[in-house]
Formats: sequence, structure tokens, C-alpha cells
Amino acid sequence: MTIRAPKDFWSGVMFIAFAATALLAARGYSLGAAGKMGPGYFPVMLGSVLALIGLILVVRSFVIDGDAITRIQILPLAIIAAAVVLFGLLLQPIGLVLSLALVTVASAFASRESKPLEVAALTCVLAAFAAGVFVYGLRLPLPLWPAMMG
Amino acid sequence: MDFLDTLSIGFGVALTLQNLGYCFLGVFLGTLVGVLPGIGPVTTVAMLLPISFTLPPVSAMILLAGIYYGAQYGGSTTAILVNIPGEASSVVTTIDGHQMARQGRAGPALGIAAIGSFFAGCVATLLICFAAPPLAAIALNFGPAEYFSLMVCGLIAAIVLARGSVVKAIGMVVLGLLLGIAGTDVNSGIRRFTFGFNGLADGIEFVALSMAIYGIAEVAFNLERKEGATDVTKKIGRVWPAWADIRHCIPAILRGTILGSLLGVLPGGGALLAAFGAYTLEKKVAKPPRNFGNGDIRGVAAPESANNAGAQTSFIPMLTLGIPSNPTMAMMIGALMIHGIAPGPRVMTERPELFWGVIASMWIGNLMLVVLNLPLVGMWVKLLRIPYRLLFPAIIGFCCIGAYVVNTNLFDIYVLAFFAVFGYLCLKLDCEPAPLILGFVLGPLMEENLRRALLISRGDPRVFIEEPISLAFLIAAALLLVVVAAPAIRKKREEALQE
Repeated sequence: MTIRAPKDFWSGVMFIAFAATALLAARGYSLGAAGKMGPGYFPVMLGSVLALIGLILVVRSFVIDGDAITRIQILPLAIIAAAVVLFGLLLQPIGLVLSLALVTVASAFASRESKPLEVAALTCVLAAFAAGVFVYGLRLPLPLWPAMMG
Repeated sequence: MDFLDTLSIGFGVALTLQNLGYCFLGVFLGTLVGVLPGIGPVTTVAMLLPISFTLPPVSAMILLAGIYYGAQYGGSTTAILVNIPGEASSVVTTIDGHQMARQGRAGPALGIAAIGSFFAGCVATLLICFAAPPLAAIALNFGPAEYFSLMVCGLIAAIVLARGSVVKAIGMVVLGLLLGIAGTDVNSGIRRFTFGFNGLADGIEFVALSMAIYGIAEVAFNLERKEGATDVTKKIGRVWPAWADIRHCIPAILRGTILGSLLGVLPGGGALLAAFGAYTLEKKVAKPPRNFGNGDIRGVAAPESANNAGAQTSFIPMLTLGIPSNPTMAMMIGALMIHGIAPGPRVMTERPELFWGVIASMWIGNLMLVVLNLPLVGMWVKLLRIPYRLLFPAIIGFCCIGAYVVNTNLFDIYVLAFFAVFGYLCLKLDCEPAPLILGFVLGPLMEENLRRALLISRGDPRVFIEEPISLAFLIAAALLLVVVAAPAIRKKREEALQE
């Protein structure tokens, strides 16, 4: 048997994975009864429906032809996700200006078309803009500089 | 309440200097960001949400609404000038709009788009004034069973009108509902699906989720396409169309407005369906000589009027029932909730200044859009030349800041990263994110109404078919599913929704 609709197949797998996680986690929540729904009732209902839909997609993908998945480019996605995580890790210790600058530089690596000078200029503009608008303008509670500098 | 009374409340709120300022800011920022290549209205609203957090609720809604229709108009500008639709609803505008631009008539195309949009916006705003109060009055009598069935019907409609596979769309709705109920259960106090993370105790942050999907995942997806040299139209010409052009377009604008207003109320691709429908209708009924596909000005006027009317009337279900008809409306609901306002039929009676203020500001915003855009077109054209490589790091940066500042919670940034990867996979697998977002917003509401309905009926599920209104919603939902499953109509739908 060959998978004839890869997009459907993997969508189905994704739904089943989420459903399985939900159903496993929901084992600990009491179901209750229809007239007195417990915290597990609705999640188990949704999880079962989701699993069923995933199953339909998987089975159907062996029968009906569908689109192939265009090549997944891991690197840009990984760089971007890492840049976001980096921002989370560094915001408190080094402040908005530096962490935003790092995010900008790091995410620029996700595109082969980025040019060093442009990125440097963009970084300065964005950091200044964000500090001006979010911290000084909107007074959002964001640390501006590294903690030790007060 | 008397019609004039309500209008005066609305304009009293919307015409304060502060709110006029926010309305202007919203329209300006919305157009500015919406014009930037590769950034559509939903992304624009998601990215600019944080600006509204520190404002009072009325001003926040006025700002966001302004951003929404500003971005919508910005999308049309790119459609005409560079043949890149800002979002699906301006796809049809590219057909005749870009042809006009190539023939050196970009100015009149932009002008008629603005005029058509303004007219449609005025009509749709009036329609909201008349339709919203009776609708809210009906909705006030809804019990939990009616509400539950209404939500089922709304979600099914959103599925039917979404692009791509229906089965996948149902999966995305259910997944959205599941994600939506994560966090502390209000009834039992049990933490569901938090997997030991304290940061998930209040559930998955909606702002982080929507920014991840519409901001960051889109960036990752867009980066895979090679950035080609964009063919920006150089000559704009006179923006104000000749009187003959306007007169030529009046019937098209009227038809577009009526069709758009009706379709906009439906959940799902309101503005999208409106634009496609209006263009198809125009091709059939417009007075000859018809020149569609080769720069017929009516091919711009009709869909542009329709999508603006649709965008406007999609506020009706959001404001009166608390049910979002598209992802942007879901974000508005998210924004209202951040301000501690539960959207629904009570908003109109309990917060009339909010309700009517927002509606009055829509009309003012549409006026500003015309005044702002016609003279500023030259500036927007310059923005169109900004390459994507300079934009995407900015999108990522803004999303990071935005996700954090909602609750000043670092965990939300990690949520952002996780769902960015998830959103990218969804885009790769052709799983439309819009149904997921709608499901996410409705998840807790659906559970609560299901629980209450079954509590009242002592667990008897027949309550959903014994209440006539509830039954009507369920029948409508079933009909929609049957319609979409029928092969003949399915083919039509695929044709109609094809880009």
C-alpha cells in the first residue's frame, strides 16, 4: 500500500497525535455524566471526534489521490523558532533593546537574501522604534536595559 | 431606544478628540502595514493588537476596527499596483485592477476602489444600526441550548466557506476547541492540558496563538518563495476618476454593496465570498460593452464595494451574538476579553457607548480612509518597494514583544514559538488556520453552554432538538454539510473558492 495523498495522511497523523495527547491527559479528569458534566466530558468528546477525523484522513489518503507536500525547509523555521525562544530567555536579563537586536540579527539568518549592512541598520531602527513606542510611548512594562545597569 | 438617540450616543463617543485620533491612527497604521508586501489584514491586526492594550475599551475597539479596514484597503492597493493581493478577498481585484494599472489607469482604479468602499461602508454601517438591535434582542432570549446550536451552526458555516478540504477544516475546528479549553476549568478548578506548566494555568494565550500562526508561521512559509523583482506600477495618473467612470460604476457599486452586506454576515469567508460573488455577478449582468479581464473599471468597483461591505457587516454577529465570523473578528473578541468585556447581546444594553461608539467610528473611519488614501497614494507606492527581507525580522520582533506584553508573561513567548512551528506545518499540510482560530475562541463558550443545557435537561440530549430555535440552527448546520457534500455543488464551491 502506498500513500496517495501525503498532505492528507500527515494531517491525519497530526490530528491523531493531538487527539491521543488529549485523551491521555484527560484520563485524570472525571467524566461525570451528561446531566452533570465533569471536567473530562467535553475534552474526551472532542478528543474522540478528532481521533476519528484523523483516522478518516489517514484511511482516505490510501484511496484517493492528493497533493504531495512541498519540501519542508527546516533551517529557516528552526532559526526563526530559536530566535523567538532566545527573546524569551534574554528579555529579563538583558532588556528589550539588546534582546530585540539579537532577535532581529538571528532571524535575518533565516533568509539567504539578507545583507549585513541592511540588517545592522534595520536592527538599530527596530530597537529604537520599539523602545520609543512600547516603553516610552505606551509605557508597557518592559525592561529596557540589562538588569545590572538599573 | 430611538434611532437618533443611539446615533447621537455613538457620534458623541466617536467624535471626541481622543477617539477621532485613535480612529485616524488605526486607519493610518492599518493602511501602512497592510500595504507592505506579504502582510495581510489578519497579520496586521495581530501585530498591532498590543498597541490597544493600554487604551480604554472603546478607544481600543475603534483603533482595531480602523486597523482592520485600513489593512483591507491597503491590500486592495497592492492588488492593483503590484498584482499581489493583500489577502484572499482582494484576489479578484487583481484581475481588472492590475490590467488597468498596466494601461496607465492605476489612479482611477485606486480612486474607484476608495469611492466604492466608502459607499459600501456607509450602507453597511447603516445596516448594522438597523439590524443589530433586533438581533441582539432575539439573542437575549437564547438559552444555553440555542447558544450551543448557534455555535455549531456558525462553526459548520465557517468550515463550508473555508478553502480546501472539508474534513481537514472540521479537524481544525475540533482541534481549536480542544486548545481553547486548556487551562483551569472554571467549574471544577482542575487544570486541564497544562502538562505541569504554570504558564498554561489560564489557558493558551489567544494573542500568542494568533501571532504565531498569522505572523511567524507565515514568515517561515513566505521565506520559501524566492523574492522576485516586483513589478510596481510607476505611473499612477489622476486618482479621482472621471465623472463618466463613476457614473459607469454606480450600478456595479450598488450590486456589490448589497451582495457584500448579505454575505458578510455569514460566518467564514464573508469578505472573500462577497468579492468573488460580486465579480461573478458583474460579469453576468453588467451593461455591455463588457471588458472584464482586460481592465474593466467595474471589475474593480464591484468586488471592492462588496468586500468592504462584507468586512463591515461581519461585525454584526460579533457585536450582537459574540460569535466571530472570521479570524479578525476573533481577535476583536480576544481584545474585548482582555479588557474584561464578554462579547454578546448584553454589550449593546450594558455598554451602549462602546457599541454605538464603535459603529459611529466605522463611518468616520471609512471617510478618513478616502481622505487619507487618495492624496497619500504616492507614499504607499514607495512602501511597496520595501523588500521582504527587511520586513520579516520586524514582524518576528513585534510578535515577540506583543506576545509578552499581553500578560507580561515570558511563558507566552514560548507558546508563540511552539505554535509558530505548528502553524507552519498546518500551512504545509493545507490545513486552513481560520477554523482553528474560530474554534479556539468558541471552545470555552461551547463547553459552558453544553454543560448548562444538559444540566437543565438532566442529561437528555433531546433538548437540542426540542427547542425550536435550537433545532432550526442544527437543521441549517446539517443542510450546509449536505450541500457541501453533494458532488455537483462541491465542484462549484471549489471553482468559486479557487485562487
